[in-house]
Amino acid sequence: MSMAGTARVSGTASEDVRWYQRAVFYEVLVRGFFDKNDDGTGDIPGLIAKLDYLEWLGVDCIWLLPFYQSPLRDGGYDISDYWTVLPEYGQIADVAQLVDEAHRRGMRIIADLVMNHTSDQHPWFLESRQDRTNPRADWYVWSDDDQRYADARVIFVDTEKSNWSLDPQRGQYYWHRFFSHQPDLNYDNPEVADTMLDVVRYWLDIGLDGFRLDAVPYLFERDGTDCENLPETHAYLRRLRKEVDSLYPGKVLLAEANQWPEDVVEYFGAGDECHMCFHFPLMPRMFMAVRREQRYPVTEILARTPSVPEGCSWGIFLRNHDELTLEMVTDEERDYMWSEYAKDPRMKRNMGIGRRLAPLVDADRRVGELLHSLLFSLPGSPVLYYGDEIGMGDNIYLGDRDGVRTPMQWSPDRNAGFSRADFAQLYLPPLMDPVYGYQSVNVEAQMRNPSSILHWMRRMLEVRRQHPVFGTGTMTVVSTDNPSVLAYVREPAGGDPEAQAAGVAGSDPALAAVAGFVGAGGQRGAEATPPDVVLCIGNLSRFAQPAMLPLQRWQGMTPIELLGRVPFPAVGEGPFFITLPPYGFYWFALMERQGSGVTADVGPAST
Amino acid sequence: MVEVDQFEVSTGRFGLVQEGLPAGLARLLGPYLARQRWYAGSGVPGELRVLEGGTLVELPAQARLLWAVVVANDHRYQLLLAERPAEDATRRVAGHEAATLGSVEGRAYYDATVDAEMALALLEAASGGAYKAKVARPLGAEQSNTSVVYDDKMILKIFRRLAGGPNLDAEVTSALARAGFAHVARPVLRWRKGGTDLAFGQEYLAGGTDGWALALTSLRDLYTPEPLRGDGYKDQDRSDPEMRGGDFAAEAERLGRVTAEMHLCMAGAFGTSRDWSTSWSSLLGSLEADLRHIGEDMVGAARSLLQRLRSLSDLGVALRPHGDYHLGQVMRTDAGWYVLDFEGEPNRPVEERLRPTSPMKDVACMLRSFDYATSYATRFQMVQAEMAGAGAQLPELAARGEVGPRASALEPLAQAWKERNGDAFMKGYQSCSGIEELLPADPADRETLRMGYELEKALYELSYERAFRPEWAEIPLHALRRLFGGP
Repeated sequence: MSMAGTARVSGTASEDVRWYQRAVFYEVLVRGFFDKNDDGTGDIPGLIAKLDYLEWLGVDCIWLLPFYQSPLRDGGYDISDYWTVLPEYGQIADVAQLVDEAHRRGMRIIADLVMNHTSDQHPWFLESRQDRTNPRADWYVWSDDDQRYADARVIFVDTEKSNWSLDPQRGQYYWHRFFSHQPDLNYDNPEVADTMLDVVRYWLDIGLDGFRLDAVPYLFERDGTDCENLPETHAYLRRLRKEVDSLYPGKVLLAEANQWPEDVVEYFGAGDECHMCFHFPLMPRMFMAVRREQRYPVTEILARTPSVPEGCSWGIFLRNHDELTLEMVTDEERDYMWSEYAKDPRMKRNMGIGRRLAPLVDADRRVGELLHSLLFSLPGSPVLYYGDEIGMGDNIYLGDRDGVRTPMQWSPDRNAGFSRADFAQLYLPPLMDPVYGYQSVNVEAQMRNPSSILHWMRRMLEVRRQHPVFGTGTMTVVSTDNPSVLAYVREPAGGDPEAQAAGVAGSDPALAAVAGFVGAGGQRGAEATPPDVVLCIGNLSRFAQPAMLPLQRWQGMTPIELLGRVPFPAVGEGPFFITLPPYGFYWFALMERQGSGVTADVGPAST
Repeated sequence: MVEVDQFEVSTGRFGLVQEGLPAGLARLLGPYLARQRWYAGSGVPGELRVLEGGTLVELPAQARLLWAVVVANDHRYQLLLAERPAEDATRRVAGHEAATLGSVEGRAYYDATVDAEMALALLEAASGGAYKAKVARPLGAEQSNTSVVYDDKMILKIFRRLAGGPNLDAEVTSALARAGFAHVARPVLRWRKGGTDLAFGQEYLAGGTDGWALALTSLRDLYTPEPLRGDGYKDQDRSDPEMRGGDFAAEAERLGRVTAEMHLCMAGAFGTSRDWSTSWSSLLGSLEADLRHIGEDMVGAARSLLQRLRSLSDLGVALRPHGDYHLGQVMRTDAGWYVLDFEGEPNRPVEERLRPTSPMKDVACMLRSFDYATSYATRFQMVQAEMAGAGAQLPELAARGEVGPRASALEPLAQAWKERNGDAFMKGYQSCSGIEELLPADPADRETLRMGYELEKALYELSYERAFRPEWAEIPLHALRRLFGGP
């Protein structure tokens, strides 16, 4: 399926078990995507109705926020029944149909799974809290006092004072790393550990292609530790992975562990825990690099990111349904990000900033495109957040994190084309402000406008898909004296047969047709396909910038710009000189001119 | 065979495969030498003597890498020359006319460092085969050396002016690395002949940017207005660099900490001296003599500062300083700041560069460099466009004291930037544990000591600028006025 979306997903096992390394993910809030039954809330049939759109956009895998039965006090992350779908969203049969329809279009579906805790409305908890002897008495973490595990930090500092809350009914304290209405399950109880594997098997049987595992560092608690990243937690993840690999090959486990990369990498294990982990610290640093107009915030975090085991990938993102996560930057950097991006105190949420991408960059399309060009070309699989492909805004006056969860803006029609319910019935009002409101920002208008950000996004995803090296290649930063310029080369890792076989032009027939060029570094034998090598250059400054790039290793190669397939002057003996407009970026394939009769040549070639 | 990405420190090896240079080459050397940036004289030397020379490496296709030491006007120079059949050379020297010597009997001669194949052969020969690279990239000549980067992993500095004996930079860098200072590029190769350093190889700091460029990036952002954010017509307060995207303070603070670590390692490697008041007094004596260069209006204030400097009873310790510490000598990399180039101020005599001083000297010099960065950006970079538009020449306007309305409008921003980043640098410096052992106990004394070195540096700058760039003299003059308590 990585090839131009021609392959189709069979639904159970797939020959391409590493699909996630080349995939582009798209995060969907079912509630906010499309309302099929006109009740004011998005639903799974609504998402099915929009699969054609996502296929057209070039999405490979859809990530669904929790769709399980829930009192919805935390956006569905407070599950009250793992076996059923929230009735507003649909039924199990709808999920099965969604999976089938997506697979038919070459797309996959993964879903959030909250293993660490349940809602306090979950029958397990209702039973557990009754007394100290009931059959589920040990399914949660109970204590006579609130002093145990004192070294564990409180994560939601705005709302919670302690990780313990007193349950008056049972007369004991229960443990919760997040909200007090989300008691942590007790994984030391084998029944709990086994039951969660039942949950996993149940949904994989229905056809899901994997899970985004919420809050994985916190499964176990131990005295004298901070109760994060414990060996017991890793052991349980290995058990889960083994189960998934043996019964359901080609499924993916994506860990949410908001930690420093050197700690997060533990969740890949030796390639025997999660297939993917989110790279959290990269995200705020991409914003910071643009603000500072220098590359070091990005390059230094990449330099301290350990390499991942074979078959593993980072999930990288610019924004998601949570805050601009600042837990992983230093205090000083956090203050700085706050002062830069969240002058309004309402925008502060917990340890982060609750804004969408477009308002974060003051609706500057150049910055948005630059940031996306980084997202699509840095090592890892990009994760888009619904609505960011059209530059949707947010509503900071809605409570909690709802500001970035407003309805998808499909058209300038009533309710943004999201729902035909009465306006007052909508789960949240669509944006109606003059800059980001649905009258000006919507899918329909942007599909009709070839120069829209939506079309730009689609084109970028297309180019990315044509060059698997973006997903699986190594990355080497190219030195330049200009701190505002970030340049790097993506090359196939040794022994990546697929990227090698993809060859210089990737699977872009038009690029292959640029007469007389073959790829960088290759032997020119007829049998050997030269590898796909891509050079990425970005200008992080709001001013035009020059750069001298030491590309001598590719001397004689011609950089061909990937969006327009325009050949640039060949790399000569000296540094490669290039100028970039404000926030400009280029992606080049490095190709070798072959033979004579080159028609596409431009500029002075130095060879 | 060790590839260059597998570093092991190599002592290098010198050996010629054949003594003697080709006949007829000698007459080409003078004009070539005169074109080099590292040549100390001016014009073709009247007399040039080949002290020693020969073939360093025989290469395929009848090519040779030649090595020689020549003497011209009492200076010794190291030459590395390529010899190739003339038809092979043409392509290789294209664009490097200054590096070309000419031809003798169908053999072409040119500077070997512009020829990647020759540069690769040089590395292999100099390291006794310990290092082998795939790509050589000449960085171009600097004032006293020529550098080549190998595989983006190693940089080899080829010393052009040979003083005879160890090279200061190679010596200090190696000693600091041994003392555990993590912020110098790791030394990996010292190529020597007898006691003389010929070339020095270090880990290449790929992706690095020097502090000067980074400071100018920050100032560029500060000096360029941003569109308004928020509501209303009220302009945001732009004078606070802390609120601007390009804020440099975190970098400055980290640089301060690295500077303190450098001084602690200097103390460990070369020792310290507690009793150095004689050399402090002689410094004050020469400062007093230099006061004749400044305007009458400032002399009174200057003398009272000197008085304070003389009355300092606690000077802290003296140690080997960096000696030429400024933003251009530090490099930001993905692993933080690195310190480069321990040769000291090239225009001062070696014994003066080796003289122990208070570590506050380097601190003062870096703070002067912050001042230069802001002044450079204010008076020149930002104003240039404005002046070009007016058709005026910058030097003549500056000489008349008219540096344009933009510059004076930017002055408060410059001042705020300098203060914020100077404070951050000092905060980082003093936060390094152990540094207090090297400094006067009383913070007020530290401050006074620093002002003494700032005075020394500014006076040096003043004489330099007046001699070579009169239009820049306003920068040290302005600094002196502030040092003396002026606005």
